[in-house]
Amino acid sequence: MGKRPPLVVLSSSDDDDGGGRCTGSRAPSARRTRTPAPPPPAAKQAPSSSRKKLRRGSSGGRGRRGASDPAPSGSLKAEFDMLSEDFTECLNDLGTSGSMHQTKELWVDKYRPHSLAELAVHKKKVEDVKKWLEEKLMAPKGTHGGWSLVLTGQAGVGKSATVKAIAAEIGADMCEWTTPVPTLWAEHMHASSGLQYVSKLEEFENFVEKIRKFSLLFPTTIGSQRKLIIALIDDIPVTSGNASLARLGKCLTSLIQSTQIPTVISLTHYHKSEANDTAMWNSEELESLLQRAGAHKIVFNPVTISSIKKILFRICKQESSSTTEELVHEIATSCGGDIRHAIMSLQYYCLNPRRLNSALATSATLLESTGFGALAQGQDCYSRSSSMPSPCGRDETLTLFHALGKFLHNKRESHGDVNIDLDSFPLKEKLRRNPLKMDVPEMILSQAHGKVRTVADFLHENALDFIDDDAVDDAWVVMSYLSEADCLLAGSPITSARWTVNESNESGSMSQLIAASVAARGVLFGNAHASLSRWHTIRSPKVWQIERTFRSTKDQILNERFDCSSTPGSRNFSEIVNDFRPFERWICPRSYMPRNVSVHHDVDGNNSEEDVIEDC
Amino acid sequence: MAASSSAAAPTDTYDIPWVEKYRPSRVADVVGNSDAVSRLEVIARDGNMPNLILSGPPGTGKTTSILALAHEMLGPSYREGVLELNASDDRGLDVVRNKIKMFAQKKVTLPPGRHKIVILDEADSMTTGAQQALRRTMEIYSNTTRFALACNTSSKIIEPIQSRCAIVRFSRLSDQEILGRLMVVVAAEKVPYVPEGLEAIIFTADGDMRQALNNLQATVSGFRFVNQENVFKVCDQPHPLHVKNMVKNVLDGKFDEACSGLKQLYDLGYSPTDIITTLFRVVKNYDMAEYLKLELLKETGFAHMRICDGVGSFLQLSGLLAKFAIVRETAKA
Repeated sequence: MGKRPPLVVLSSSDDDDGGGRCTGSRAPSARRTRTPAPPPPAAKQAPSSSRKKLRRGSSGGRGRRGASDPAPSGSLKAEFDMLSEDFTECLNDLGTSGSMHQTKELWVDKYRPHSLAELAVHKKKVEDVKKWLEEKLMAPKGTHGGWSLVLTGQAGVGKSATVKAIAAEIGADMCEWTTPVPTLWAEHMHASSGLQYVSKLEEFENFVEKIRKFSLLFPTTIGSQRKLIIALIDDIPVTSGNASLARLGKCLTSLIQSTQIPTVISLTHYHKSEANDTAMWNSEELESLLQRAGAHKIVFNPVTISSIKKILFRICKQESSSTTEELVHEIATSCGGDIRHAIMSLQYYCLNPRRLNSALATSATLLESTGFGALAQGQDCYSRSSSMPSPCGRDETLTLFHALGKFLHNKRESHGDVNIDLDSFPLKEKLRRNPLKMDVPEMILSQAHGKVRTVADFLHENALDFIDDDAVDDAWVVMSYLSEADCLLAGSPITSARWTVNESNESGSMSQLIAASVAARGVLFGNAHASLSRWHTIRSPKVWQIERTFRSTKDQILNERFDCSSTPGSRNFSEIVNDFRPFERWICPRSYMPRNVSVHHDVDGNNSEEDVIEDC
Repeated sequence: MAASSSAAAPTDTYDIPWVEKYRPSRVADVVGNSDAVSRLEVIARDGNMPNLILSGPPGTGKTTSILALAHEMLGPSYREGVLELNASDDRGLDVVRNKIKMFAQKKVTLPPGRHKIVILDEADSMTTGAQQALRRTMEIYSNTTRFALACNTSSKIIEPIQSRCAIVRFSRLSDQEILGRLMVVVAAEKVPYVPEGLEAIIFTADGDMRQALNNLQATVSGFRFVNQENVFKVCDQPHPLHVKNMVKNVLDGKFDEACSGLKQLYDLGYSPTDIITTLFRVVKNYDMAEYLKLELLKETGFAHMRICDGVGSFLQLSGLLAKFAIVRETAKA
């Protein structure tokens, strides 16, 4: 708490301006609503920002409570002067600068879809949602059940955006669940006399209660002209532990069963980063719970590359930024169907560093000033990495595919032994290889940002496709190297178990590095007769993942056995699996569930990268 | 030596770590990753920072550049406008819900186009629950508050957060880049050195600027002179040149000499783990035929595995050299 910087306090007289300062800097239209200034031409922003203002209005009232110390009036005057100065400056800025700097918003907010036509989501899905909503809005009140819709899909595919756009289109009001301002940290700290936090779960329960009551009252309040209201729940509270999860489940179930206004719940799928993270609710589990309660489900697929590209091009045009088609293509392909991330990346990559030549110049002079040509001659493998375009994209597996492609396609210089004679001693004919037409494998690996286990698994799964059909010898070599890499990765069971205790992280990472280079180099070396480059899809290694999951579960059980029982070694696996596990499941069904589901999920979601060997 | 002691005298009174002393305060001064840095520079000048995830190995300037960016963007209002949390601060669910959210709601007077910044250093150590709670906060307050997360692996950040951020990847610094910065520090501190000493520091740093500067300072404060022996004494690593000679001897067929080299190294008191770690790095960067490199790496890996299993004896290291020799023999035409 001591680190928390003091609040800048503005008294109520210029509170509005103060609010305008931090909020209004984003958009001129927000300023217009508060101060009598000539309206800048940004009418397009008006609906979105006014909506936001409403939301802020309610939360700001309580937020102000936190800033309760009155400021000395002397400094206030100065501050006000500064404010107005800034304000005029800002206005001038508005007049002069180009469209690029007109608003200081995130592009994601700025180019939020306002109509159905602007949505990047597949038309059919939009139609589905719209049909459902319209149907419900037209439906007579009083029917029970079937008033809720669950939208699922990975992050950034436009679940909430679709609902909002549809609501705007059919003129319905949105009733959103936004988490209220929490109990103040300081309040909690100082009033230690049992002042409870209102937990998010309780607040959510209250909200749900309100929706239900509200919807019951609703038909009587307004006469013939029915006002259209859609409730959107975007932010299901994070629960930990089984009790609160059960409460949340109960709460949601009762909501679904009794709500009488169309309620949309959006659930984001994501891969868990850690297998043993049982603290969080699991989206699949919640989803099935909601469905059992009778919610209609619509799954959103990742946005297609072409529609992402379309949107990105449109934004580029509106921002009048000169981005290459190549860049847009790369962003669109590498974002993995996540339109929000694509736009964020675009905003980042549209920052044009060419206008700032000084930086490049200084770094160039730095490079020149080194003057030690002889230094570290063997180690220049990293030196080119800075000049390469940094990969964009959210998920590392995408750049991983790039690296895999390089290893598998195995492009080499075609003309004979140019570099061989440079070597100190001659190699056997069949062990000679032409130099690689790529960077050092280690560097590619380091740029791929992938986990070694994943790389090895993918190579194992796909390597055979890329070897010529007749070259059985090559397949031998490749597979033998891959098996050795696998061996290196796993280590002996003793070491992998002991790493948790005393082995330093470094040695673990070193064996990982070696395994990665053996796997990559093994594939490169072994594949002497690469098959003609035709199109191969890279498959995800499901079989090996099942095996791996099996192994890791076994490890886990082993660990648990050591953890739980004071007499290790007295029981064997079959006893644990057959007797104790079912018993455990029987006494506390919940505690077992997530583990079970996560294992299943691991097999299911091919890209989730739990590397239990490393973790434990 | 005399020159060094006189020059170092004034700084001796307050010996702050050079890492801090020479931490760049402007984004433009951040070394390496020129593409990322130049974009951050644009942000520093224009404001309107998007939410960022800076990911990369340690010592590549993630924290430095984000701090410099915040200072440059917010200037005097840095203290009010920036909330910086790292792994040592409590960052559980409660903090995200309260501290970060309160900060996001706080009103601060900032220049136009600037936003408050929440810097979450070492964000990969945040729990999933905390990240999940952050998700919505990021969105709701995006018009006043922006987030910058620094982490080593971006895969530890949950997808909804990744989706809300632009990812800036930092890669290891090249030796030239580290050298350039070392030269600046060396000149400013008037450190006596020989080029080989700096080369040794760069080798030990392995693309990590923080490590490089720490090693440099340790060497200087320990021996007042930067040469190879001193650096490796301070860093307590087997001399890579020695190891390199060993490998070279094996590949040239001079097995006896290689073994005596190993014996020397072992007698100096280095543990087999130290030796094999250096050996791996030497082999990795050694210029040799593809097949040889592959086989040597493989054998090194297996030997490392055995040593990790507890069989860290001199015999294992000799055996490794013998295996190198066998590989060479089988490969030889």
